Amino acid sequence: MNVTTPPPVAGVAAAGAVDAAKYYGVGDAQVRALDGVTIAFETGKFTAIMGPSGSGKSTLLHCLAGLDTLTSGATYIGDVYLASLSDRELTELRRTDVGFVFQAFNLIPTLTADENIRLPLMLGGETGDVAWIDHVIGAVGLADRLKHRPSELSGGQQQRVAVARALASKPKIIFADEPTGNLDSTTGTEILTFMAEAVREFGQTIVMVTHDPVAAANANRVVFVGDGKIVGEMADPTPDSILDHMKHYGD
Amino acid sequence: MSSHSTALLARKSIRARLGRTIAIAIAVMAGVSFVVGSFVLADSLRAVFDDLFAELSEDVDLEVRTAQEFDGDSAREPIEVALADELRAVDGVAIVEPALTRYAQLVDSDGDAVSPQGGPTLGVSWAGDDGLQGVTVKEGEPPQGPGELAIDKATAKRESLAVGDTVTYLTDTGSHQGTISALIGLGSGDSFGGAAIVALDVDTALDRFGAGTKADALDIKIADGADVIAVQRAIEDVLPERAEVITGEQLAEEQADEVNSFVDQFGIGLLVFAFITAFVSAFIINNVFQITIGQRLRELALLRAVGASGKQVRRMITVEALILGIIATLLGIGGGVLVARLLVAGFNAAGAGFPSPDTILAVRTIVMAALVGIGITMLSVVVPARRAARIPPVAAMRPEVGFTALRTRRLVIGTVITALGAVLFVVGLFARPGGTFGLIASAGGGGLLLFIGVASVSSTIASPVTRAIGWPVEKAFKTPGALARQNVARAPRRTSSSAAALMIGVALVSAAAVFASSLRATFVDTLENAVTADYIVTDESFQGLSPIVAETLAAVPELQAVTPVRGIAAQVGGDTKAFGAINADAFEKLVNPDLRSGEIAGLGLNEALIGVDPAADLDLAVGDTFDVTYQNGVSGQLTVAGIYGDATFGNWLIGLDTLESVSEAPARDFFIIGKLADDVDAQRGDVAVEAAMEPFPQANVQTNAEFRKSQEAQINQLLIIISMLLFFAIAIAVLGISITLALGVFERTREIGLLRAVGMSRRQTRRSVRWEAVIVSLFGAVVGVVLGTFLGIVLSLAVPDDVISELAFSPIIVVLILIGAVLAGLIAAVYPSLKASNMDVLQAIATE
Repeated sequence: MNVTTPPPVAGVAAAGAVDAAKYYGVGDAQVRALDGVTIAFETGKFTAIMGPSGSGKSTLLHCLAGLDTLTSGATYIGDVYLASLSDRELTELRRTDVGFVFQAFNLIPTLTADENIRLPLMLGGETGDVAWIDHVIGAVGLADRLKHRPSELSGGQQQRVAVARALASKPKIIFADEPTGNLDSTTGTEILTFMAEAVREFGQTIVMVTHDPVAAANANRVVFVGDGKIVGEMADPTPDSILDHMKHYGD
Repeated sequence: MSSHSTALLARKSIRARLGRTIAIAIAVMAGVSFVVGSFVLADSLRAVFDDLFAELSEDVDLEVRTAQEFDGDSAREPIEVALADELRAVDGVAIVEPALTRYAQLVDSDGDAVSPQGGPTLGVSWAGDDGLQGVTVKEGEPPQGPGELAIDKATAKRESLAVGDTVTYLTDTGSHQGTISALIGLGSGDSFGGAAIVALDVDTALDRFGAGTKADALDIKIADGADVIAVQRAIEDVLPERAEVITGEQLAEEQADEVNSFVDQFGIGLLVFAFITAFVSAFIINNVFQITIGQRLRELALLRAVGASGKQVRRMITVEALILGIIATLLGIGGGVLVARLLVAGFNAAGAGFPSPDTILAVRTIVMAALVGIGITMLSVVVPARRAARIPPVAAMRPEVGFTALRTRRLVIGTVITALGAVLFVVGLFARPGGTFGLIASAGGGGLLLFIGVASVSSTIASPVTRAIGWPVEKAFKTPGALARQNVARAPRRTSSSAAALMIGVALVSAAAVFASSLRATFVDTLENAVTADYIVTDESFQGLSPIVAETLAAVPELQAVTPVRGIAAQVGGDTKAFGAINADAFEKLVNPDLRSGEIAGLGLNEALIGVDPAADLDLAVGDTFDVTYQNGVSGQLTVAGIYGDATFGNWLIGLDTLESVSEAPARDFFIIGKLADDVDAQRGDVAVEAAMEPFPQANVQTNAEFRKSQEAQINQLLIIISMLLFFAIAIAVLGISITLALGVFERTREIGLLRAVGMSRRQTRRSVRWEAVIVSLFGAVVGVVLGTFLGIVLSLAVPDDVISELAFSPIIVVLILIGAVLAGLIAAVYPSLKASNMDVLQAIATE
């Protein structure tokens, strides 16, 4: 992978991609999951990535987060190009600078809620900012469920634990992959509201993939992906404006 | 990086997956218990015998006896009693007592021989209260003169004999009468280790036991304050040629070593099976770890995603295994002590008569337990842990990516290991590089590699073979049967690893079966063709038979030929050989040894019959002479009178007269063979022989057919013992199948839920899982039988021809093994099938 573009300016964008491409297979069977995506995510903002199934939105997220590698182009977090990192440095980055919230199977089933929240810190052999973690736990409303295992928590509670875990290490950016996909709408709204609060009150940066216009409306900005490309974007969206936009692009 | 988090995760994981953890722990524990049990048993028994012999020779400071030229099995020559007077004159010597142990058989008032259960019947000399042999008087006074004797109190009790009774006893010189003057015991015990004892005063013993002027040894007690070593030196100065003096401690050690060499062999035998069990456990543990890592794929990937390094994941899995290994080892050590006790009880129930020992847990035992227990666990987890570390973080969202990472190039490696194992095994058995050690290392190592390789490669044939095995199951059980068949065939890799442990157990049983059948076939062949004797008299006491037994038998008019077979160790060209001594004229009528040249009958003094192999090696022909040195130091020359091909009776035979001319050691017969006179029918012969052997309970008379049957029974018994010792390994194998199946059921939760939702009954669900288990275990058994038969054939071919010359295969055993495999499958299926059928349908479907 050749990195020809200059490094991004620190402070402006928390993460981004430059001409990112990801191909699967060869010849006629080749699938272009990402086909030249260039995008930056501002610090302290909540960005939603939308697009139909197979549009490449999840692949983009995985590559941005350093979970997957590109065929060509580059992704960065802060002022670091991910391609320049060794597996060990990438692991370190995931532990300290990145938080994750997935659609399902977010927690280690054998650990309690408390242990799950502190897991990234424990893996690094750190205790972290105890006051901050307590604040986060209080904010997600889990103080009385800390000793419970994931199997003893509801879906919404599990997802709140996951969000708390993502926040615990004060990462530069949190990536969320369909975080409300497995939840009913009330619980989903609760999680999204909390994520939006984290952005507003703690200045956290969040990038979320979703196909739900209602969920996306919690973000400051929506980016539309189709066929591996950025096909549009919108600031301060509402569910209606998103739906309009999607109709306009013939989704 | 934090080891704290790895340890926490590992600990939590162990606790959360308790069932799986317990199953692995049981597998480790079983292996460790068996290893520890073998060591504890051998150590404890050894300590008992060390103490026993130390106690027996407690009063003996020094012993004078004849020297032997080299190590061998011959009895020691007796020593002149007259030497005792010279010894008494040596400074520091307090007491010199001739010691004599010979054959003596008590006869009860009805004229029946008194037979101790399993023990020998011995006559000993006893100097009375001053005696040095640790004999204690329980009742009465020590015997004095030819008219008195003492017997052990245990026999007296059993036969209701008391002091003052007159009894008859047989010795090498014939029948004698005497009055019981005392009941005696050894130390505080009433018995002499199970032997029936007749004790006479020294002069009477020398006379009645036919020892003449010579005793077995001269026991010495030194004066108070004298120095043992100084006295030993002083005695050495007065000793004649070919005599030696040793300390009481050396004597005790020697005697204990003799018994302990059996204990050691027994211990090593057990240990071999213990290691097999541990090896099988390793397979199970490896398989379980392998499967669970597949199941925990998303969890491990999630750890990677939130910032765990590959190294941390590997360490977590390894620490999990380590904790498990340590706990299981500790439990296994406890279990081992129990196993040792059970083994003693078991062998005693079978009539072994082991003393009940104190439990000795040596440091070496604990180290071995840790090596085996922790070692096999850690070895088993190396590959799974490395694979787990390769799981990419993105697998948390796309599990299919993770499964690709878990795949290995198993076939290539497996084939290489199989080939290497087979070559090592064959080379080790036939070429034997580096002697016995090379044989064991090469053949044993090759065998292990072969098992590992076959277990790995067998996945390639798992699909077609299990489809074939499953065909009748599908026919019989319709849909559940078809599901079982497909489930087995669709995961060939898992099927083969689940079946691997059983495969090893079955392979070992089959190899032993082929070996035993071949041994039996060869033996039967020999008895039918080479041995034409009608009667075979064997010795049940392991002391050897007194010559009067053979003399009595030779006097039976219904028999035309009788010869005893005695032995002496001798060196020819620097190598120690076992020589047999026979009555050649009779031998010719009793045995057909495939004579190649010369004559058997008329074998004269200092003439020998030798086998074709040594004849070729030493380039000897009939009429040639060769030098020989007997174990007692006597040298001489033997002339070859005949060369023969059948080595059933060994490769070196001399006449009884030659043996008597070179050795004064008391004659003892290994066995006696006899043939009916031409005009006597078998029935009349049986009655006559039985009657003649009546006074000799330790002589076991069998007809040729009976002897063959009893030998076959012994071979069968050996096979049964081997199978029983493999029971542990097979039980673990069944446990392994059960765990794998339970894990499989867990993985297929959704699928089973769906089947139940669309109308499969609980019973059908159970049936499906049950037959899946049966197909898997049958697969293991089939591969095991094939591999084991190969191993058995190679093993049989490697053994010298005079032990195994023809191959035999027992179809009955194969059928038994297959029936056993079906049962094993049914047992293994109990838990997984219940788990599958009790699943909540709705929950199962909702499971991701």
